[in-house]
Amino acid sequence: MRVLALETATDLVGAALLRDGAVSERSHLGGRAHAELLAPAVEEVCALSGTTLAEVDALAVDVGPGLFTGLRVGVATAKALGQALDLGVLGVSSLDVLAAGAYEAAPADRSARVVAVIDARRGEVFAAAYDAGADGGGPDGPDPADVRTDRPAALAPEELAAWCDELAAGGPVLVVGDGAVRYVEQLAPRPGLDLGLAETVAAPSPAVLVRLAARRLAAGAPLQAATDIVPDYRRPADAKINWEERAPQRTAPPPPGDGR
Amino acid sequence: MPVADRPIARVLGIETSCDETAASVVEGGTTIVSSVVSSQIDLHARYGGVVPELAGRAHVELLTPVLADALEQASSDHSGRGIDGIAVTHGPGLIGSLLVGVAEAKALSMAWGVPLVGVNHLEAHLFASLLEQPDLGWPLVVLLVSGGHTLLIEVTAPGEYRIMGGTIDDAAGEAFDKVARFIGLGYPGGPAIDRISAEGDPAAYAFPRSLPGDGYDFSFSGLKTSVVNRVRKEPDASTADVAASFQEAVVDVLVTRARAAAGAVGARAICLAGGVAANSLLRARIEAACAEDSIGAFLPSRALCTDNAAMVAAAGYWRLTRGDRSGLDLGADPNLRLVSTV
Repeated sequence: MRVLALETATDLVGAALLRDGAVSERSHLGGRAHAELLAPAVEEVCALSGTTLAEVDALAVDVGPGLFTGLRVGVATAKALGQALDLGVLGVSSLDVLAAGAYEAAPADRSARVVAVIDARRGEVFAAAYDAGADGGGPDGPDPADVRTDRPAALAPEELAAWCDELAAGGPVLVVGDGAVRYVEQLAPRPGLDLGLAETVAAPSPAVLVRLAARRLAAGAPLQAATDIVPDYRRPADAKINWEERAPQRTAPPPPGDGR
Repeated sequence: MPVADRPIARVLGIETSCDETAASVVEGGTTIVSSVVSSQIDLHARYGGVVPELAGRAHVELLTPVLADALEQASSDHSGRGIDGIAVTHGPGLIGSLLVGVAEAKALSMAWGVPLVGVNHLEAHLFASLLEQPDLGWPLVVLLVSGGHTLLIEVTAPGEYRIMGGTIDDAAGEAFDKVARFIGLGYPGGPAIDRISAEGDPAAYAFPRSLPGDGYDFSFSGLKTSVVNRVRKEPDASTADVAASFQEAVVDVLVTRARAAAGAVGARAICLAGGVAANSLLRARIEAACAEDSIGAFLPSRALCTDNAAMVAAAGYWRLTRGDRSGLDLGADPNLRLVSTV
């Protein structure tokens, strides 16, 4: 099974290709150059692993939550590759990739309970909690999706901290992701919260993504058609929010859009 | 991936710079084999204009079916059979929209092993005319008028451009949209004003004609304010009269400037481009002015005036056959300028 994975949900942009159990990876801390960096990374991982795109069996893409523009670049690339190569696509949550990264990076006794936090900008985060239980989910660790508690709405840092406090009442909690890095001052001083890996596992990694995707495919996860893959924005578009909030007292035509 | 070095015949064009998701296959730079345009007008209508984040999201959902249609109508399929190159608009436009098309085009170029070229959206509009009039004579003056642009461009040959003037405030299409919204005609404003003006008196109101500076620049914000003030003072004014008088003023200014520009450079023709070039009064007046001045008038069909991917493929064909190539690190530039490249 040869799996090509695309990662663009945060400032880290890259691709990874898994072939015969070996992962070739190329990633960059790209700022906002997702489009510029992703396609060359795909070409490079193909060259590194000696694989042509025609030999790839499945595609995986991080569908978010994360940066809107980054997600669009990753998903549009996955859709076009899927369509052109007639391949199915597996969409994977950025929070699950972070949690899988934490399970890979931390010894089992530290990683039983993980909170993955993505910086949602505008002073908010997206987060999910993972509890692998006493046995740590077996020798390979759990598939994060099997042990996840989701908070689909964006959280203020105080809400995140309060949630982490609740979770920490049951034992130490490992907090990872770029949202944890951004709000480390609010989180680090709290008893029971371990931010030792926040910097190491700040962004979803292409290599972790491709391993998690391959694991899911091996377990029978269905691939989606290119048409059906969409980003998980978790927030409506701005103008839409404003318009709907104002709707009740609306009497005049709406103000100009952002223009062209 | 090695890029096939075969002769370029069929080019796939991709256009996502604003609110149209489009793909097209063009043969030999001039024959449209397929052209699919999926408009998002309904999506943006309630906001009275294009909402960038909504546009970006819609492009992601539409790009796969639009491409599939364009390929199928060209007797190709997902494998890109018969496609020799890919052209994509990489600016100017909305960054979140442009990037969707650029990402798609690069992925297809890698998967199919065919060359890629990034195309300037404005240059693509200039090539729209060549699709219908492959024997255009030079030099030309192009009046490019749309929701985002109002430009007078001297074209001495394909690829040789000189910007003679542009708007110092609103684009012409933007003025149409804003006035239409204000007088309750909805979005998009251009077609709505065009339609209702047929029933109005263009001389009912003497709205100002602004001709800023000595050159070929435009200004529409004073005109827009004047319409707003008039309607506020006279709430019972006939919408058709206001629309017709406004349209008359815009067209008057556009034609005056275009004609002067064509005269100054000895142009053999004036060519219209952009969404506002679909306006029936503008078309009629340009045609009449050119006839009077004994020069040609090139008026692309309405479908080629508004955003489409056939014009992108046509411009891309010309670039690819000259040997222009873009790398996989191609990005999008929302403020990309039109510069001569020959």
